[in-house]
Amino acid sequence: MIRSRLVIALAAVAALLLASCGGKAGNASGPTEIAVWNGFTDASATNFAALIDRYNKDHPDVRVTQLMTSNDLVLQKVLTAVRGGSPPDIAYMYGSWAPNIAEIPTVTDLSGYVSQPGWNWDDFYPAERAAATVGDKVVGVPALVDNLAVVYNKSLFAEAGIAPPTKDWTWNDFRTAAAKLTNSKGQYGTLISGDGSEDTVWHYLPMLWGAGGDILSPDNQRAVFNSAAGVRALTTLQQMAVTDKSIYVDATNANGVNLMNSGKIGMLVTGPWDLPSFTDIEYGVQVLPAYPGSDEGHQTISGPDNWVIFNNGGERQKAALDFVKWITAAPQIQSTSAATGELPTRTSVGQDPALVAELTQKVPGTETFIENLSNVKKARPTVPQYPTISQALGQAIVSVLLGTAQPADALNTAAQAADAALAGK
Amino acid sequence: MPTESLASTGTPRPSLFQRWSDGLTGWALVGPGALLILIFGGLPVLMSLTLSFQKSDLLTADAPWVGFENYRKLATDPLFVEAIKHTLVYTALFVPGTMLVGLLVAVAMNRSLRFISVYRSAAYLTMAVSTISQGIIFMWLTDQNYGLVNAALNTVGIESQPFLSSPSQALYVIVAMTIWGWTGFAVIIYLAALQAVPVELHEAAAVDGASRLTRFRTITVPLLGPANLFLLVWLSINALQLFDEVYLTTRGGPLRATSVIVYYLWDQAFVQFNAGYAAAMAYALFVVVVIITALQFRITRKYVHNA
Amino acid sequence: MSHTTEITADTVLDDAVDDLPAASRARRLPFSLWHLVLIPLTFVLIAPLVWMLLTSLQTHAEATHFPPVLVPEHPRFQNYADAWAAAPFGHFLLNSLIVTLVVLVSNLVVCSLAGYAFARVQFLGRGALFLTLMATLMVPFQVTMIPVFLIVKWFGDNVWDALGIDHIGALMLPNLATAFGIFFLRQFFQTIPVELEEAARVDGTSRLGVLFKIVLPLSLPAMSTLAALTVLTSWNDFMWPLIVVTSTDQMTIPLGLSYFQGAHNTQWPLLMAANVMSLVPMLVVFLVAQKYFVQSVASTGLKG
Repeated sequence: MIRSRLVIALAAVAALLLASCGGKAGNASGPTEIAVWNGFTDASATNFAALIDRYNKDHPDVRVTQLMTSNDLVLQKVLTAVRGGSPPDIAYMYGSWAPNIAEIPTVTDLSGYVSQPGWNWDDFYPAERAAATVGDKVVGVPALVDNLAVVYNKSLFAEAGIAPPTKDWTWNDFRTAAAKLTNSKGQYGTLISGDGSEDTVWHYLPMLWGAGGDILSPDNQRAVFNSAAGVRALTTLQQMAVTDKSIYVDATNANGVNLMNSGKIGMLVTGPWDLPSFTDIEYGVQVLPAYPGSDEGHQTISGPDNWVIFNNGGERQKAALDFVKWITAAPQIQSTSAATGELPTRTSVGQDPALVAELTQKVPGTETFIENLSNVKKARPTVPQYPTISQALGQAIVSVLLGTAQPADALNTAAQAADAALAGK
Repeated sequence: MPTESLASTGTPRPSLFQRWSDGLTGWALVGPGALLILIFGGLPVLMSLTLSFQKSDLLTADAPWVGFENYRKLATDPLFVEAIKHTLVYTALFVPGTMLVGLLVAVAMNRSLRFISVYRSAAYLTMAVSTISQGIIFMWLTDQNYGLVNAALNTVGIESQPFLSSPSQALYVIVAMTIWGWTGFAVIIYLAALQAVPVELHEAAAVDGASRLTRFRTITVPLLGPANLFLLVWLSINALQLFDEVYLTTRGGPLRATSVIVYYLWDQAFVQFNAGYAAAMAYALFVVVVIITALQFRITRKYVHNA
Repeated sequence: MSHTTEITADTVLDDAVDDLPAASRARRLPFSLWHLVLIPLTFVLIAPLVWMLLTSLQTHAEATHFPPVLVPEHPRFQNYADAWAAAPFGHFLLNSLIVTLVVLVSNLVVCSLAGYAFARVQFLGRGALFLTLMATLMVPFQVTMIPVFLIVKWFGDNVWDALGIDHIGALMLPNLATAFGIFFLRQFFQTIPVELEEAARVDGTSRLGVLFKIVLPLSLPAMSTLAALTVLTSWNDFMWPLIVVTSTDQMTIPLGLSYFQGAHNTQWPLLMAANVMSLVPMLVVFLVAQKYFVQSVASTGLKG
């Protein structure tokens, strides 16, 4: 009874396995196959697939395939693949991983390549180049750029009788507006991610920089975010969260966009990727506020991501380099931006008025984000210990937001942890 | 205890040949399973042990041998101690909670009503629903401002609770969420066990006039012994390795209130790139789980009806 | 007594209770009172499923609300077609089916052999082996996944291509037997009265014969439970396929679901539609399996 079932099942399976493996024939003399791992969805996915098709048509000696995976998990997958000896050729990787990826031996150092004329390396925004450079090594080619600005709900502002934010507004204006926009019926002036992750930290960093502070000393040896500027920035958050109670601290980091779209939040500090989700409100976009008395201006932060190329041998690496060079060339950046609404990664493209107009017409507010790219003056340090530093800082910020610590103490504790990490390795 | 030597059936004690052939049969029967598990389960466990004696970031091939240093660091790591505490509290609440709720629901479903297969399918389906959906629902239900739970509390005059946003409440919310998620599993196991309770025993006792509750207590519960042990051990092993639900909701927060061992370990391996340290942590956890499981087997030995 | 209809403790009790005057009034109701308990209970349990269904019929705009919109204004069944078209789900379904079927059959066979041996056969080293196998459950996957990857890669390179990285064979290999299955069946086999087995052995039946002719027929509830659970675990496995599979044509359904999760936005309606569709095969499996959950007394051969 069981035995005959088993035999039939095994036979069927063996047949199916052999059949399904047909597609993995060796290609000793066929086109060079390279694999690109990415996590694109929606319009980005369609656009990328179209780009691959075009490239494959124009280059019959190369065949580009892609593997779709979740962006968050690409790192685990890459690490396992690298250890197991089967890395991809190209992978889309978050910029924050750059310092650690730099240590993988199979990651190609692009510094020799990108300095060649055809790449127009300097055409990429400075923040992107900084995020792709670890010491002397260039670990990736910019794939995506964004920045943080303030998206505000025009109707809520009107209801509360506040004038919409202007280009010259300060953090005091922000605080006042947030307080006025908060009511007892579940409406909040603003929202911040409260899970202590890099998401929390990178919302705080523009404030730190705006107040004149920095994360690490210029030689990347010590933490300096517990300076007076750092305390000033964190105190602003404390005043809003604890005193005014005008911040919704989202501990699960899940609901910010939805709450904004439901008209429950007055101002949200976020990036251009969220604009398409705000279908139910009338929104405006404004640059981040500045600190009165500081000449750092309206600093913001950018979170560029990179195309990382792995060295899998002569032919494949050559093909990979060529493909990445092509998809990051100006014409392709232009068409990608137009198709997906993403900010252009090249300055030349970002200054094209026709493109800016087209993007803004599709998704209002995009022009402010593009302009805001010139406000990105600083970048996060590309040291391998950054994840540890970020965690320490994140916990400090959350403890202040929840009212369980004072800014100076919290920052000092975090600085100690950061210094220990920098020294330890 | 050799079952063959029970005097009840009058079978004579097995001969040496019998025992020897039993031994061979035993090994032949467990052979395939044991081989597969030892290769794909046992070998990786050993290989990870090696990793725990190295300093590795998984990025480069060079992983210098550092002996017991990872373990020494572990012993003085306050965050690790905190994670242990949270994990143990979580396990102590989750395991009995799930078993109790599961048993009650299984008893309710152990009858031949119309539509009973619909109810049972629902219990099964709760396990099929992804952790993501469970997480989202719970995050919404317990939301401080818009959640249904707080809405209900408000109607009886209790003020809104922060739940997952509160360092003191978050862990308990995760307990509730995971009990809810695992109830289906416990129900299925208990249903299988309840079905195996010989009906004749109940009939005989009913004829003797024993009440339903007494019958439950004296007949059913003892025969659930193996199922209880199974759930106790399996739920504990899973509880001590809690990860997914924490990753999906609180990411170990707020302020590390829900930092459990495997989450801290994962963070060390894949965010901080301290893979060797993470492996050492996994081994410390391993020792804890082995001890707890062995204790569970030992203590419940006399309560499990072994025939 | 040789009832051939479904007998549970409850029907027997109901028969007994018939003779009691007061309680008999309760049985005059057109439905059992238990429904009043089971319905709300079930609803609480399947709330996530209901939410999934509702979300799968919403538009993207409706899904980006908090607190969530419960009932969509115009149910958008188109989401299901869109989700199916977004990725080669037909192929993923086939892969998932093959992998799950192989893992199921393998587990049922291998784990019942081993579970029986652990429950009833005395052999040297039984206790130690059992504990060792259990021990493999106690190290988290996050730590063992890289060694498992390396081992499976070795198999692919040295034994059979189809078992290696980026083939669905690799998805089956580490799961062909689980300590969970062995443990579960061991516990269950221990509840079968040993007198039955001894009687057969005195008659000259071999160990294997006892297993097939006596123990397994009595174990249908346990076997079908194990089957249902194995199918569930294998079908929903995400982390291992994520790490091992790099070509789209070897992907299984959970990997396909991650198509809908972008870096910043998740397309909830499509994701939930795909999720609901992937539940259907499991539901079918369960409905079939749960017919065997109920033990028919006729097959036990128990004498009164």
